Amino acid sequence: MNKQNSQEIVNIKNKNVFSRIGAVREIIIFGLVVALFIVFFFTTKGIMFSQEALKIIFVAVSELGLVAIGITMLIISGEFDLSVGSISAMGALVAAKLYQLGLNPFLALVIALIVGIVLGGFNGFITVKFNVPSFIVTLATMIGYRGLIYVITEGIPIGFRVVDTHPAFRKFLTGELGVIPVPFIWLVIATIILILILNFRRFGNHVYAVGGNKETARAMGINTDKIKIICFMTLGMLSALVGVMRVSRVRSFHSLQGEGIALLAIAAAVIGGTLLKGGVGTILGAVLGTLVIILIEYGLIMSGVGAYMYNLVLGAVIIVVVILNNVIEQRRK
Amino acid sequence: MEKLPLMKATDIHKWYGKIHAVNGVSFTINRGEILGLIGDNGAGKSSLLKVLSGYHHQDKGEIFIEGEKVKITSPADARALGIETVYQERALVDSMSLARNFYMGREPVGRAGFLNKRKMAECIDVLKKIGLSINSPNYLVSNLSGGQRQGVAIGRAMYFKAKLVLLDEPAASLSVKEVHRVLDLVMEFKEANISVIFITHNLQHVYDIADRFLVLENGEKVKDIEKDATSVEELTKAVMGEINA
Repeated sequence: MNKQNSQEIVNIKNKNVFSRIGAVREIIIFGLVVALFIVFFFTTKGIMFSQEALKIIFVAVSELGLVAIGITMLIISGEFDLSVGSISAMGALVAAKLYQLGLNPFLALVIALIVGIVLGGFNGFITVKFNVPSFIVTLATMIGYRGLIYVITEGIPIGFRVVDTHPAFRKFLTGELGVIPVPFIWLVIATIILILILNFRRFGNHVYAVGGNKETARAMGINTDKIKIICFMTLGMLSALVGVMRVSRVRSFHSLQGEGIALLAIAAAVIGGTLLKGGVGTILGAVLGTLVIILIEYGLIMSGVGAYMYNLVLGAVIIVVVILNNVIEQRRK
Repeated sequence: MEKLPLMKATDIHKWYGKIHAVNGVSFTINRGEILGLIGDNGAGKSSLLKVLSGYHHQDKGEIFIEGEKVKITSPADARALGIETVYQERALVDSMSLARNFYMGREPVGRAGFLNKRKMAECIDVLKKIGLSINSPNYLVSNLSGGQRQGVAIGRAMYFKAKLVLLDEPAASLSVKEVHRVLDLVMEFKEANISVIFITHNLQHVYDIADRFLVLENGEKVKDIEKDATSVEELTKAVMGEINA
């Protein structure tokens, strides 16, 4: 910035390369993804690039990614949701139970999505109306929603063998289109929609504003409560979708389904450059963050290093990436 | 014939629990008038501002704009009525770009409801007119100085054709040079026939430019006087609570 005697004109020059290239975080994470591919190509002796392996990897990327992009939008709006695993399981349970009762699975899916929206909306409503931190609210609902699942199932698995009765449904949700797994197509569609909303719609501008500075957003006439609740609901719907996807893929509902997905989704968001304080983050970053997590998991397993290394490596990667993000943030200023 | 004032507020009351923050304040403001709202910390200036800007609804009292009774229940209502508030700290969202801040809450949309980014780039020209030249609409506002931020908020109020601008302690935490810039901008409002309520506890900032003063103390109006009929000494005494003593 130049501070010459500027009585009339304040001329601001953008010298800093970090503030000019807005996507610098994404570029770094993309580099990390490419590096992981290269390293694991050698350590797995090419196994990771077999069609079968890639299919498994991209299904995993899709299931985590759909939750990660939803949670990223919510974190940008300044809130948090730990209950997505429980919501996801509840969606799966609703679909499986209704199907067991003879309902068409497509209709069961729609109802499961509505349940996801309602549960997410409840998180949001309690958070904004009673002014409780969403971390606490969703910690409670994470436990409570899961508890409800146990009450309903008594821990007994429920079969969901749509593949026998409605093969079209399974194709629609977890089949393959040519060589591409359908869940990945769902992830691409949802990613494009959220990118368009966040960058090119009024609503997106309001999401960034509410998370960046809630009081300013309010002063500018934005209904901050409404924006946040819609973000909670969107995440709830995506979580339920993933739940139904998974139950139709593994053909049976188990009460533990989806446990641990919330923290992984938050990790994906953070690796992708989302700041937990809100107002900063991108959907593309979340998808790349998801790729990093899944590649490490499957790359290590397929390298024969053993699954136990995965958590250790992932933890280290998160710390390194977050430090890197902080450095970029400092340079920006 | 007497013209209608732009805004008339009668017997405004605001309680926060047991605290009577605004106690029966009435005032009017004409078009193109600069009203200095002064008082010590806790005198009720901010509470009155929050009522006018829609942040809090008054517990009692009425507000008229150009003779018509209005109900301001949210900041969105206030903006729709042409009341624009320039907050000192809350004017802009740091983590967002200039254009996204400038149009916040009033983003122009084009086909199918998508943001009209070309239109949003116009904010550069608007700011250039008031002497703030920034080369990109994508510039992060956290890089702007305090005075420049005020400039952006003021340019925004002009662009959206505000009728009444509320300035909340605009000169606090600015350098001396920047205070003068902001005061120059306030005079531009007057030239554009836009009314201004300038809220401050520092009489020095507002004395030169204001047409009239409203002094609050303990939530009550203790003085409402034209500049020609008063002096710095008298106003200072009023703010210090030494009036009628």
